[in-house]
Amino acid sequence: MRSHASRSRSWRETSCRCAARSARTIGAGSRSVVTRPDWFGACGYIYLWRDSGESGLVSIRLLVLIPVAAAISLALSAAVDAVALPLFLDTTGTILATALGGPVVGISTGVVTSAVNSLRNPTFWPFVAVQVIVALYAWMAARAGLFRSFKTAVPAGFGLGVIAALTSTPISYLVFGCTTTGGIALTTALGKALGLPPLGACFFGSFLADFGDKAVTFALVTSVLHGLSRRTAARFPWALRAIGAA
Amino acid sequence: MTRLHPFTLLAIAAALPALAWILPAPAGGLAMAVVALALALTTGVFRTAVFTAAPFWLFLLLLHDIPTTVAIGLRITTMVSSFVWVVAALPPPRLVEAMVAAGWSASAAYVFAATLSAVPVLRARAGRIADAQRCRGLSPRGGPVQRLRALRALAMPLILSALHEVDERGLALETRRLVPGARRTPLAPPSDHAVERVTRWALAAACAAALAWRLR
Repeated sequence: MRSHASRSRSWRETSCRCAARSARTIGAGSRSVVTRPDWFGACGYIYLWRDSGESGLVSIRLLVLIPVAAAISLALSAAVDAVALPLFLDTTGTILATALGGPVVGISTGVVTSAVNSLRNPTFWPFVAVQVIVALYAWMAARAGLFRSFKTAVPAGFGLGVIAALTSTPISYLVFGCTTTGGIALTTALGKALGLPPLGACFFGSFLADFGDKAVTFALVTSVLHGLSRRTAARFPWALRAIGAA
Repeated sequence: MTRLHPFTLLAIAAALPALAWILPAPAGGLAMAVVALALALTTGVFRTAVFTAAPFWLFLLLLHDIPTTVAIGLRITTMVSSFVWVVAALPPPRLVEAMVAAGWSASAAYVFAATLSAVPVLRARAGRIADAQRCRGLSPRGGPVQRLRALRALAMPLILSALHEVDERGLALETRRLVPGARRTPLAPPSDHAVERVTRWALAAACAAALAWRLR
């Protein structure tokens, strides 16, 4: 087991002025400083290396990110209520955590979000599979750098809306008879009135709920990732790649 | 009932909906719904369970015929009542103590407990941000585009402030040696009698047997 001191060394803050000296001093090992002028020039203090998932503190940072992201998902409903939009935004934390910390962090966030949300509304728990699918999709989007702008993020969000609807429809149909929320029940009734078969009407209701919601969620996460300072973003292993900056 | 081990409470809350779905409708669902509602009655959350389940019956009537409505409605009522009951009967700190005592990583217990404690904090902050933005002239009315802009103005400060706290929390945890894989000694571990352990296994066996019987 590595000592506390060695773990503390794994994230070291230094000023831009001494970065080159630090690089010469420490850079002989495999974790040498990679000088990036755009980072070094823009900030007063930098961390010598990005999160690699190796040190104890890095793991703690990602561990802490899970409850914070899950709480963001659950607290955003207050903001949605304030503007009275027909949105859920209940996957915001999952997508954000994936874009910052990778798929394991994203899936964990999704599971925790569903578990804690179930304490308030038990109907959320069967949809935990949707959170896992959302995390995996967001990971692929982050790998492809689709959070680099709204032009790439919003279409990706529409794609996720279709996938989320396809995933949630069987659960909603088999477990709840398509009555998960009032809005979805009413749009499902509209689908039935339009002559769709029961499963088709259920998909119609889920699709209308998820299509715009996931696009708005992706746009919001893109705004957040671009709103983070480079210094903060560099502390998370996937953030810069997700916005196409690394 | 509330003195039972947290895992026993969770096992009961999981077994009731599972059996309601597995056993033939409507008798199986009715039996499980009665048990779940009785449990809710013992903890004083009967009305909460009924009011939470009632909208589902309304929507089911809107979408399905009467037999389907009764079959699915009883299952949903069982699930809702079980969850409402277990939330009322099981304080989260007790569950965390049980998880730690059972050998779960302190990190897993932290994630669950931290989420529960962070949600009301962030909700209160979201309310304050909304008030502050209204003071600055933000209007949540108008067309969809204007509302989306208002949503961004409300959500961004909330999310960014939460993310900026990640490092502070991480440092605080490391100073308390809560690193992944660390084991903690629970101060007040809930007692776990052999009878309760047998009960949990019996509930799991009952669900498996019911499933095997239905698939036969």
